[in-house]
Amino acid sequence: MSAEALESKIGDLFDYVQERCLWQFSSRTWDRQANIDGVLAKAADLFLGRSPSRESPEDKLHCAEASVLVSDCRERYPWTGSVDETEVLTLMEGLKSRLVDIAITQSKNRELNHHLY
Amino acid sequence: MTACETAEIPLAEVKFEPKDRAGVINPMYDCQPAGAQFAGIGVTDSIPLVHGGQGCSMFVRLLFAQHFKENFDIASTSLHEESAVFGGTKRVEEGVMVLAKRYPNLRVIPIITTCSTEVIGDDIEGTINVCNRALKKEFPDRKIYLAPVHTPSFKGSQVSGYDECVASIVKTIAKKGKPHDGVNLFPGWVNPGDISLLKHYMKEMDVEATFFMDTESFDSPMLPDKSIQTHGNTTVEHIQDSANAKATFALARYEGASAGEYLRDQFEVPHYLVNTPYGIKNTDDMLRKISEVTGKAIPESLVHERGLALDALADLAHMFFANKKVAIYGHPDLVIGLAEFCLEVELEPVLLLIGDDQGSKYKKDPRIKALKERVHFPMEIIHNADLWELEKRITSGELKLDLIMGHSKGRYIAIYNNIPMVRVGFPTFDRAGLYRKPTVGYRGAMELGEAIANALFAHMEYNKDKEWILNTW
Amino acid sequence: MPMVLLSCDSAIPERQKHIYLKAPDEDTREYLPVSNAATIPGTLSERGCAFCGAKLVIGGVLKDTIQMIHGPIGCAYDTWHTKRYPTDNGHFNMKYVWSTDMKESHIVFGGEKRLEKSMHEAFDEMPDIKRMIVYTTCPTALIGDDVKAVAKKVMQDRPDVDIFTVECPGFSGVSQSKGHHVLNIGWINEKVGTLDAEITSDYTMNFIGDFNIQGDTQLLQTYWDRLGIQVIGHFTGNASYDDLRKMHKAQLNVVNCARSSGYIANELKKQYGIPRLDIDSWGFSYMAEGIRKICAFFGIEERGEKLIEEEFAIWKPKLDWYKERLQGTRMAIWTGGPRLWHWTKSVEDDLGVQVVAMSSKFGHEEDFEKVIARGQEGTYYIDDGNELEFFEIIDLVKPDVIFTGPRVGELVKKLHIPYVNGHAYHNGPYMGFEGFVNLARDMYNAVHNPLKHLAGIDIRVAESNTADQYARAEANPVYQRFFDNPNQASGNDSLMRVAG
Repeated sequence: MSAEALESKIGDLFDYVQERCLWQFSSRTWDRQANIDGVLAKAADLFLGRSPSRESPEDKLHCAEASVLVSDCRERYPWTGSVDETEVLTLMEGLKSRLVDIAITQSKNRELNHHLY
Repeated sequence: MTACETAEIPLAEVKFEPKDRAGVINPMYDCQPAGAQFAGIGVTDSIPLVHGGQGCSMFVRLLFAQHFKENFDIASTSLHEESAVFGGTKRVEEGVMVLAKRYPNLRVIPIITTCSTEVIGDDIEGTINVCNRALKKEFPDRKIYLAPVHTPSFKGSQVSGYDECVASIVKTIAKKGKPHDGVNLFPGWVNPGDISLLKHYMKEMDVEATFFMDTESFDSPMLPDKSIQTHGNTTVEHIQDSANAKATFALARYEGASAGEYLRDQFEVPHYLVNTPYGIKNTDDMLRKISEVTGKAIPESLVHERGLALDALADLAHMFFANKKVAIYGHPDLVIGLAEFCLEVELEPVLLLIGDDQGSKYKKDPRIKALKERVHFPMEIIHNADLWELEKRITSGELKLDLIMGHSKGRYIAIYNNIPMVRVGFPTFDRAGLYRKPTVGYRGAMELGEAIANALFAHMEYNKDKEWILNTW
Repeated sequence: MPMVLLSCDSAIPERQKHIYLKAPDEDTREYLPVSNAATIPGTLSERGCAFCGAKLVIGGVLKDTIQMIHGPIGCAYDTWHTKRYPTDNGHFNMKYVWSTDMKESHIVFGGEKRLEKSMHEAFDEMPDIKRMIVYTTCPTALIGDDVKAVAKKVMQDRPDVDIFTVECPGFSGVSQSKGHHVLNIGWINEKVGTLDAEITSDYTMNFIGDFNIQGDTQLLQTYWDRLGIQVIGHFTGNASYDDLRKMHKAQLNVVNCARSSGYIANELKKQYGIPRLDIDSWGFSYMAEGIRKICAFFGIEERGEKLIEEEFAIWKPKLDWYKERLQGTRMAIWTGGPRLWHWTKSVEDDLGVQVVAMSSKFGHEEDFEKVIARGQEGTYYIDDGNELEFFEIIDLVKPDVIFTGPRVGELVKKLHIPYVNGHAYHNGPYMGFEGFVNLARDMYNAVHNPLKHLAGIDIRVAESNTADQYARAEANPVYQRFFDNPNQASGNDSLMRVAG
C-alpha cells in the first residue's frame, strides 16, 4: 500500500471513529488511552477474522465496541475486505496514533488529567 | 347531602392558628426574591438583577413562563464559590455594567438580594453608589435607576418580596414635581386580565389612574413584524410622578401598600387601603372610595356590569353553591377576598390556608376579624400553612370538601382525591389562559362563579353524580 | 474559522472563547469552546445552580424518597412541578417536596435543630416512607450546619430509615453540573455497596444517566426484559433508593447521560471493576448500535438482532415517513449539554435534519469534543449561550425549529419559530425506537404548524400581497432589525432597541 493510500484509509477509519465512537472521549486520559488501545487491539483481531480474547470484563467491553466498529467499517469501506495482516496492523497503529493525538495529546479539554473523577 | 343534614346548623367557631409543624411539605409560596422579581418585571425597560446563585432567578423565570406562557428578562450575578467567601459586590458591579452596555434602553435595575448574599452581608447600598459613579462615567447621557431590594429568602415570602420591591422602586424613582389629578393604583399581585378590567373601570369613571405595576402586556401577541411586547407598562415617568398624584389606592394590604404608605409619608399623597376587590361588595367599596376621593361619579355602565354579575351569580348561588364546602389557599389578600366572595354566593369556605411567617400581621387584619364575626359555620384559618395541611385533612377524612380553590401547585390534592378544583391565584400553569381572565371586580366575580359552577357540573358528569339535575337547568 | 465574537458580545469579548463556528478541515485540536467556566454576571445566561443539579435532576427522580431541602422555602418551591419524570408508583416524586423553611433565627442560631425536627415530622407524616435525601442550600452551607451529624442522629433514633446527604449549595461550581458531581460521588462513596442484590439473570447491568423523562426508562426497560437482562440500578429513572445501593452487583454499566452521571460509572469501574459502556439511547441507528454492543458484551447477539428486527418492522416505516417530510429542516438545540451530541448526528442520519446551532448550559469540554466531532460544518457550537446571542444566532442560521426549554420556547414563538421541549419533551418518551418516532412526529407537527405562517401576515396589507408577506416574514431578520436599525422597531419593545 502506498503511503498516500495508507493515509487515506487511516483517514476513513479516523472519520468513522470520530463520528460514531464515544469510547475515545472518556473523561480522563487514562480511560481514553485504555479504550483506544483495547478497542483497536480487538478490532485488529476481528478484521483478521480471529476471535479476540474475552477474559476480563474490560476485554468483553472492548470486544463489544470493536465488533460494531468492524462491522460498520466493513459496510462503509469495501477496501477493508482486502487487507492483509501487515496492513491491518499498520492501519490500526496509524489510527491509534491519530486518535491519541486528537483525544489525548492535543486535546484542549482541561479536565483530562484531573486525578479524580 | 340529605335534607336532615342540611337542617343541622353547627356552631360557628372560627379557628385561627399556625400549622403545628416546623418544616414544610408542599409550599404554597415561593421565597421573597421571587416576589421581588415579579414586581421588577412590571416596570418598562427594567431588568431585575438577582444577587445570588443562578437558580434564584432561573427557576423564577421558569415559574413566570409557566404561568404567563411568556419569557421575561431577569439577570443573575451568578454567585459562585469565591464570592460566597470573599463577598459578591464586584459581581453586582460587573452585572450592572454588562446589562447597561448590552441593553442600551435599560432604565431600571432592581438589585434583588437573596438568602446567600444577605448572609454574606454584601453592602448593596454602597455598591449602588459605586455603580452609579461608574454608570455616570460610562454613559453620561443615560440615567439608569438602581433600586436596592433586600429580600432575604429566610423572611416572609414571595408576598412580602413583591411588596418590598414595589416600595424600593418607588423610593428610588419617585420625585416631587407638579401635582396632578391622577391617582396611583396599587393592584397587588394580579393577572393581566385584572389590570385590563381595572383600567376599564377607571376609564368608565373618567379617573386618570396609573398602575403599579401595570402587567397588562404580560399577555402579549405574536405579531407580523415579530416584535416582542412582553414587558411591564409602568414607566420611569409614571413612577416619578407617583409622588404628585391626587391619591393612592392600595387594593392589596400585603402587596404594594407599603409603597403607598411611603408616598403618603414622604410626599403627602393621601393613601387609601381599600378591600381587595374580590366579590360584589368589595368591588362596591373600592369603586365608592375612588368615587368619593376623586369626586367622579360611578357611571351607569358599571351599575349595568354589576347587575350582569348579580344576575349570573343569582342563578348559581342557592341552587348549586349553598352549603358547598370550600377550601381556599394562596396569597392572603386573595384568600380573604375569595372567602368574602364565597359568602356572597352561599359557598362555605371552611378552610383558609395562608402561608409564611407573617402571622402577627394577619392576626391584626380587620378582614379576618370580620370573617370571624360573619360566618355561621365552623371555619379554620391556618397561617404559616403548607399544602400538606390541606391534603392530610382530606386524606384522613377529617374534612369533606366540595371544592378547592387555589393555584396549580395544589393540583395533585384535587386530582388524587377526586375533588373539583378551580384554579385561581398564582401560578395557574395547568389551565390555559387564566392569566387573561379577571378575578377582581364584578366581571371577575361572575367569571369565577361560572368557573366554579362548570367545575362542579363537570364533576357531577364524570362521576355520574346527579348529572341529570342539569337536564332542565 | 476561529472562535466567533458576536456583535451583541462586543461589551464582553471574553465570550468569544465560548462560541465556535465549525469550518472544513478543522477539529477540536484547534478549537474547543471553553466550558464549565464561571458565568459572566448580568448576561442572562440560561444556567441553573448546583443544588438543582443534584435535587431536581438526579435525586428528586427517586420514587420512594423524601427530598428534604434544608434551607429557605424557595429552593423547595422552585424544584417542584418543573419536571416530567413519572414513576410506576403514582409519581410520589412529583407530588411532594419538603423544606425546613429556614427563618432568620436559624441563620443566626443555626438550623440543625430545625432540620432534625423537620426530618422527624416528614417520617411521621408519611409513615410508609423510609428513605430520605437531605440537601443543603446556600444559606445552610454558609452558616455551616452539620447535616451529616443530624442525619446520623435521626438514623439512630429511627433504625428503619436510611438517609443520604448532599452538600452542594447553589453557589458551588458554575452550573447544575457541580450538583451532578457531588451527588454521584457522594452516592458511590456512601451508599453503593450497602445492600445486596437478588440476582435473577446471568446478565446484569446498571443503566446510568436516564431519568425516565416521559417514560424513557420504562420504555427501555421493555427492551431489557425482552433481552433477559436484569437492570440492578437505574440511575435514576423510576428507581428506588435501595436499588441504587446495589449498583456494585452489576456486570456492566451502560451510560446514556455521561455528563450528569458519568462520574458514578467511572467510580464503579475504579472501585468495583465494572466496565463502562457509553451509548446513545436517542436515535434510531444509535439505539440499535447500543443494543448490539450490550448484547455483544453478554454474548447474546442473536437476542439483540431479533429485538432490533422486531422494532424496525414496527417503527422504521413510521420514521421514514417523517424523514421524507423533514428532509432539510434546520434545527437548533439549546439544552443542557449531552443532548447536543446525542442528537446532532441522529437527527441528521435518521431524519435528514440539519442541526445549525447548538448551545449547552452546563456541558464540559468533553461534551464539546463529542459534539464537534459529530456535528456539521457551518454549525455554531456555543457554551452557556445567553439571550442576546440567541437572537443573533437565529438571524445567522435561521432555524426552522428549536429544541429548548419552555421559557425560551415562549420567546422564540414571538419570532415565529416553533419550539419542541428539548428537556421534558412535548409528547415523549423520545428514547428508543418508538421514542425517536415520537421526537420526529413532534418536530414534524411543530414545523408544519399553519399558525407560524399566519403569524407573518399583516391583515392591513391587501390579500393579493400575501405571498410577498410570507417572503418578507421569512426574511425579516430579528437581531438586525432590533439592534442595527432602531428606527424600525415599533411599539414598546424598547429593550430590544439600540439607543440613538
